[in-house]
Amino acid sequence: MKPARPFILRSLLAALALPALALGPDRALAHEFWLAPSRYRAVTGDTVSVAAFVGTGFRGERIPYPTTRTLRLVLRADREADARRAALNGDLAFLRFVVPNGDGALVAYQSNFARIELPAGEFDQYLALEGLDGPHAARARLGPAAGPGSELYSRCPKAWIAGTRSERVTRPVGLPLEIVPLADPGGASRLAVRVLYRGRPLAGVLVRAWHRSLGPNAMPYDAAARDSVPPTAQVRTDRRGIAALSVAAAGEWLLSAVHMVPSADKGVADWESYWASLTFARLGSP
Amino acid sequence: MRPAGRLLRLALVASACGLTAAALPRAGWAHAQPYSFLDLHLEADHLRGSLTAHVFDLAHEVGLASPDSLFESAVAERYADTLIAVLGTRLRLTADHTRVVPRWARPTPVPERTGLRFDFQASWRRLPATLEIEGPLFPYDPQHQTYLNVYEHGRLRHQDLLDASRSVSTHYTGTRQGVMAVVRSFVAAGIHHIFIGPDHILFVVGLLLLGGGMARLLKIVTAFTLAHSLTLALATLEIVNPPARLIEPAIALSIVCVGLDNLRAHAGRADRRAWIAFGFGFVHGFGFASVLREFGLPREALGWSLFAFNVGVEVGQACIVGAIAPLLAWVSRASQPSGKRIAFAGSCAVALAGTYWFIERALAFSR
Repeated sequence: MKPARPFILRSLLAALALPALALGPDRALAHEFWLAPSRYRAVTGDTVSVAAFVGTGFRGERIPYPTTRTLRLVLRADREADARRAALNGDLAFLRFVVPNGDGALVAYQSNFARIELPAGEFDQYLALEGLDGPHAARARLGPAAGPGSELYSRCPKAWIAGTRSERVTRPVGLPLEIVPLADPGGASRLAVRVLYRGRPLAGVLVRAWHRSLGPNAMPYDAAARDSVPPTAQVRTDRRGIAALSVAAAGEWLLSAVHMVPSADKGVADWESYWASLTFARLGSP
Repeated sequence: MRPAGRLLRLALVASACGLTAAALPRAGWAHAQPYSFLDLHLEADHLRGSLTAHVFDLAHEVGLASPDSLFESAVAERYADTLIAVLGTRLRLTADHTRVVPRWARPTPVPERTGLRFDFQASWRRLPATLEIEGPLFPYDPQHQTYLNVYEHGRLRHQDLLDASRSVSTHYTGTRQGVMAVVRSFVAAGIHHIFIGPDHILFVVGLLLLGGGMARLLKIVTAFTLAHSLTLALATLEIVNPPARLIEPAIALSIVCVGLDNLRAHAGRADRRAWIAFGFGFVHGFGFASVLREFGLPREALGWSLFAFNVGVEVGQACIVGAIAPLLAWVSRASQPSGKRIAFAGSCAVALAGTYWFIERALAFSR
């Protein structure tokens, strides 16, 4: 029964890996971070609140708004506004706004760097999990000398509240890492996105998509009160920084990408990572 | 049992343990919402506050197995005294160096935050100049964060996040005494930075080695001050923010340049120190800004803190100039050859030290 042993060994390794993945790495790391509006379709005069979640598999916990960690909070509706002044430290909503019309609104956020350090094994495991092949290979080349992995990470999520002016979402905001749809993300069943790193197309970065059903009136279900789901698609960007993913199903979508580069300040951390996400919905008829 | 069967059973058990561990709240691990919320309202004669903490953290402190039971008023009441004692010890409030001991009210449930709110109050004779808020509130969880908002007469003045890496936050009140406290703190910080930074000292000393009259020295120092003040302000206000990997080696390079230029001038060429001070002053300003950021700038008094830190830097610099320049002038007056020898040897030493730092920093940042 030769094939049995590799299968069982694989099962054992997978089983042993489960608790490791469940308990660590750090809960703030190797986790998607996304913005979820209270509704994905809004009409003139509606108040929309936008909350932030951190978690895995499109299930997550709500993060209170951290004033001192925020570099940018942008609301792009009729005009582009710095929304930081209206946000309150510790509020469970990052932003509340009254929808001026049905043209659509984009909300974007950028955090400053937070530092984290993980033991070598956990750090390598997390790099593999996120498809960060470059840093993973660089550490592998160093062998045991690589040591614990230290990292500065920054979050760059965006959320699109559907509307008729799709250029509001197809135009980059200028986040360090940004997922930019090439068309109205709620429009086509196959969505092409371009991933930009510091404004330039980024090739070879893994873009993943998760899907959940939506509640009535285009309102998402509580992300903390649902199960994690595996990604429905994952594609690496081509040399133009473009990845095309199937987003055919109606409902709430999360696209996510991570990019890691050697740290500009090796005295503080070895790596810098940027976590971009885009949330939007494919809606049925109102 | 065959080895393969044992392995399979082990795999299943390990998997079950893993999933269970992932699914259950972990007393030794902490929970998914490691947050507490602290609001402080400062009035002329008293302080009102409220601290909202997650039931998981509160239950941990009293060894309660079911955190949600704290939403039952009887259970909350049973543990209230213990929790108030714990929180009263962990949350340290210090007004103008005097510990504030608040009176705590009984907790009330806050379901939307999955927590209990503890209101408290303390009186004081007048609004203090500074209020220091110190945690951590739940040290068992290194990832715990406390969102802090300080209001003065109803107006939000200070927002901060206390965590393992930043356990103290200082609020400078909007009073005249508060402004004075900002000025005192940041002037001292500026002076301290100059005296603990051998690179800045050496750069200034390098500029002085060739000596010169009062007007010339004033010109050099003014050029340096103008340039570093500008970039210090630009970086502090987050208008320009070059990375440390460029700035730190560039500061070292500035020391090499001032040393080499002294040697060139020593050989009879024109004195270009004012231009060097001006040019590299921009770089040193960015270095000062990185230090200022580490102090944690009070956003409510950004202008005053920036101004005061700059004044501190100037005072520190003036001390160096005041100590070195007369000494060099005295040596030169006593014996001109000795003065020249000191200028030559000093410039060589400055250039060598700068080269050492440049290599060290360039290597550190390219690792």
